[in-house]
Amino acid sequence: MRRVRPIAVMVAAGVLAVACGSATSTGGGGGTSNNGKVGGKLLIDNESGSTWTCQFNPFNPSVNITSIGFVYEPLEFVNILQTNPDGTPKVTPWLATGSSWSNAFTTLTMTIRSGVKWSDGSPFTANDVLYTFNALKADPALDLNALWAVDSGPLTSVALQGSDQVVFTFNAPAQSYFYYVADQTPIVPQHIWGSLDQSKLDTYADTSPVGTGPYLMSNCSQDNIKYLRNTSYWKSKPGHPVPQVAEVDYPAFLSNTSANLYLAQGQAQWGAQYIPNIQSYYISKSPSTRHYWFPPTLNVSLFPNLTNPLLGNLAVRQAIAMAIDRSQVSQRGESGYEPAANQTGIVLPTYKAWYDKSLDTLTYNPSKAEQTLQAAGFTKGSNGVYANAQGQQLSFTIKSISGYTDWDASLQVITQELKAVGIQVTVEDEDSTPYTNDTQGGNFQLAYGEMPVAGPGPYYELRPMLFSGSIGSTNYERYRSASTDALFNQYSGASPTQQLDIIHQISAVMAQDLPVIPVTEGVDWYQYDTTSFGGWPTPSNPYAQPPVWATPDNGVVLTQLYPVS
Amino acid sequence: MRYVTRRVGLFVITLWAALTVNFIIPRVMPGNEATAVLATFRDVNPAALHALQIEFGVNVHQNLIVTYLQYIANCFTGQFGLTAQRVPVLTEIAGKLPWTLALVGITTIIAFAIGTLVGVVSAWRRGGRLDGILPPMLFIVATFPVFFVGLLLLYVFAVTLNWLPLSSNYSIGATPSLSLSFLGDVLTHALLPGLSLVIVTAGLWIYSMRNNMITTLAEDYVKMGRAKGLPSWRIMTDYAARNAILPNLTGFAMQLGYVLGGSILVEYTFSYPGLGYLFYTSTTDHDLPLMQALFLVYTLAVLVCVLVADLVTAGLDPRTRDA
Repeated sequence: MRRVRPIAVMVAAGVLAVACGSATSTGGGGGTSNNGKVGGKLLIDNESGSTWTCQFNPFNPSVNITSIGFVYEPLEFVNILQTNPDGTPKVTPWLATGSSWSNAFTTLTMTIRSGVKWSDGSPFTANDVLYTFNALKADPALDLNALWAVDSGPLTSVALQGSDQVVFTFNAPAQSYFYYVADQTPIVPQHIWGSLDQSKLDTYADTSPVGTGPYLMSNCSQDNIKYLRNTSYWKSKPGHPVPQVAEVDYPAFLSNTSANLYLAQGQAQWGAQYIPNIQSYYISKSPSTRHYWFPPTLNVSLFPNLTNPLLGNLAVRQAIAMAIDRSQVSQRGESGYEPAANQTGIVLPTYKAWYDKSLDTLTYNPSKAEQTLQAAGFTKGSNGVYANAQGQQLSFTIKSISGYTDWDASLQVITQELKAVGIQVTVEDEDSTPYTNDTQGGNFQLAYGEMPVAGPGPYYELRPMLFSGSIGSTNYERYRSASTDALFNQYSGASPTQQLDIIHQISAVMAQDLPVIPVTEGVDWYQYDTTSFGGWPTPSNPYAQPPVWATPDNGVVLTQLYPVS
Repeated sequence: MRYVTRRVGLFVITLWAALTVNFIIPRVMPGNEATAVLATFRDVNPAALHALQIEFGVNVHQNLIVTYLQYIANCFTGQFGLTAQRVPVLTEIAGKLPWTLALVGITTIIAFAIGTLVGVVSAWRRGGRLDGILPPMLFIVATFPVFFVGLLLLYVFAVTLNWLPLSSNYSIGATPSLSLSFLGDVLTHALLPGLSLVIVTAGLWIYSMRNNMITTLAEDYVKMGRAKGLPSWRIMTDYAARNAILPNLTGFAMQLGYVLGGSILVEYTFSYPGLGYLFYTSTTDHDLPLMQALFLVYTLAVLVCVLVADLVTAGLDPRTRDA
């Protein structure tokens, strides 16, 4: 879906009301139990920003949220919100029954499930898996996670072993790629895709997708996609039907306001919406059945351009970090929906297994911020702004994305707080494309933003953010440290305890060097209504990432929901 | 005849200039399609940049002249390629065009009719009660930006009173058909965007029509008509209005450009999935093929209207033919 935040046309949303509320869920309908019933029509509510194109190619990033999870399935499910006791993410078999690493994490063997059928009746086999991964090599435009060595990934070959095993060979330890191979690559049928032009698979429209998933795409128009349950879904057993929801409708909402209204009117049950003042606009209309849960997955941070001589100065970054009252920004900028972040870079509570409290020492302290600047040789000018001996003032611009009104509100708080310690900042809003261009290209002084996508653990956020090889793409601040790079390079070949140690060391880098200054934690917007359906993911049962655009987690949720009446 | 060839010649040159500008502008915008997809869609691994660059041919460097000639040829054969979402550009435009055409077409005709009529009557009864209220009021409203009027209407009729829908072209889940209930649904959805366009454009028609009328009413042939004792409605319609409407007809074509531009803002305000909304998303998504095709559609629409207006004026007013 489109990365959309509340836009300026908010007068219609009734934002005039006073914002209140807290980020905690209002509790509600926990466990997932199959009650054997089948029926009901589930409506999904998520602003798509444009009408549906009715294409379902799972390798097309602009449409794949309507096919992965519904129709196409991956090999294993990696839940980014749940960890095992040793900190590793919880993995559940899907189209594979299991997997194992060998040769120092350079060989991955997947055992493929038998008895699964494509929705056209053909049997699903290990050959389909082999075909899918080779297709990514044949048409590099499909290789969205850059798995193959030719696309600068570590994967060098995929081969069959026996009739039901697929062996992936990597040119380096590749544990961190497990998520992309197992969870993020949907498997497509060889008997259909194999007969297409293999170099142009990326432009294949796939208007009537054939998959192994719980739903069949039944009808698509510009404004709605209708899915019907796959009556011969492989997880179904006599007396234990899967999925249990008979029909799923996914309307295309062009604006946040129309999507919010639809949710508030109770017409949709599964929302992934930013709703200003959610308590009175949505919850209060049916407090016993309506709930929300906003699990944080990524930091929203201030990125200082380290090539700027002033921002390259650690004292200046320390002063900025100590001058920002993160809980104020969270409360006033984000209505408390997005919690305050911490300087160790670990998103809490989601990745609490990786958090080292002893490193989290930086606190809000404006007077200490000024002392730090003075100790570093900065003096306050007559205009109240600190300057160095050469007379260069601590006056910066912050680039942000236009239309992200909550970020604008947060930046307003940040601007005031920085002004209080003698640092002057001016916010410059840009459209998302020039913003991406500028942040990636280093054409900014300070930037407010977040990493594009979360993964199963802080590594998946911190590496793109701090690895020197990502300068030019997601290492906006242009941090370059050989020792930090070495830590990232060890991660994929490390044991769980070593990985934990690596992340702690990187947290220490974040806390001491302040290459990036996390301010708030970006959350997944998620609302659900238990009037007709149960089995929703909740804070006490976070069995999948809950917003409908999170693939393939949406497929897990769809197989857990059940009609209540 | 010379007039017609000159007009057609001018049309061809303007079209060429517009096509060329259309080719250049998207190319000087920052970013490219690959970064735009990363910037626009959620949950895309940044590592996808490589795949997307291959997909959109971002690093394929081709001679600009060759690209330009291909582009001009494609404009004439209608081969606009695929959008960033990989749908044929023509399919995408064909799906949205009817909605905008209906919305803009109908509202322009209504605004023209109201404006001309009020203009004629208020000029005829100059200083009267109607003349004192409607023209100044509508002219002031005409200076409001159309999105502002749209937001006000939205706030009053959709949010506060909850009489009319907030957005979209028809209710979610409604199946398009020719049934009365569906047409009624479409109409209720089109009412607010249509009204905003009428409100901001009617004033301009009134203003020009009223001025033309006043000038024409001072002409000798009008006095002559009065002297001959013709009924006043006949003088108003056949003698004065018929001549006064000529500049407005040309204006009608000119206005179309303004209304099309306005339709972008209106469709954005009301999330109305027509060409204007598509134009907005194509620009923010940096969807080059779609953007160029839409520019072309808009330019062509205005140019063709101006040409038609010129030809119609030539037919109605013999004086222009000799010019």
